Amino acid sequence: MELVFILICGGLAAIASLLVIFARSTLHSALWMVVSFFMVAVIYVLLHAQFLAMLQIIVYAGAIMMFILYAIMMLNLRREQDEKVPVRNSKIFGLVALVVLFMELVMVALQHGVEAIHGPITDQLVQAHGRVAVLSNFLFSDYLLPFEVASILLTAGVVGAVVLAKRTK
Amino acid sequence: MIDNQSVYLAISIILFVIGAAGAICRRNAIVVFMCIEIMLAGVSIAFVTFSRANQSLDGIFMVLFVMAVAAAEAAVGLAIFVLMYRKHGSIDLDKFNLMKW
Repeated sequence: MELVFILICGGLAAIASLLVIFARSTLHSALWMVVSFFMVAVIYVLLHAQFLAMLQIIVYAGAIMMFILYAIMMLNLRREQDEKVPVRNSKIFGLVALVVLFMELVMVALQHGVEAIHGPITDQLVQAHGRVAVLSNFLFSDYLLPFEVASILLTAGVVGAVVLAKRTK
Repeated sequence: MIDNQSVYLAISIILFVIGAAGAICRRNAIVVFMCIEIMLAGVSIAFVTFSRANQSLDGIFMVLFVMAVAAAEAAVGLAIFVLMYRKHGSIDLDKFNLMKW
């Protein structure tokens, strides 16, 4: 039963991602991107990472896609969609390298299956304390420094974006 | 019988390769940016899969920080696209050669 759900969600995510690439207009690819992010969120739920699924919907499908849609609507992109350019050699080489990369990844995934290590976060622990409680205990003790560094990075990103996009007079 | 975990890994590989193909083939900077986000999503699925297999939370925290970096990257990257559009009148990546040697 789980397998059926995984296959449906993974297939929809792959199809939506392909449509992101093949859509003619940038706006349509952004909307297909939202579908792809939602499917990835469902895959997170199937992997018992509900908190990440909510974050995926709020941060990616909400905040980042709103950024991108704003940018698309601010820029007038209609002109360059009509231009057709011949396929470059570098792109063909890139695609060949990509096929090789795909083969390598599949071979690695087939050779070394996932070896289960029994770590500290068992299902009993999660059921006793709740998933978000366990997560936040770790986040604010073991991962406190990366958490603070991430907040500094976000502040720097916002300040940098404002400074870059400010119109100099 | 196929293991569920290998199916998750297969989805992760497929998403990563689709994203990489788009990043190579498309010339529109915003579409390339979205393809990079697809690649990040594929890697995140692999992280969460291994995190669940190993009964650990490390992979989930890795995805959390990937999201934080992606948000900062989106802010700065889109500001750069707006600047480039003001300067060149398009966001075609083939026309950006400021840093080309």
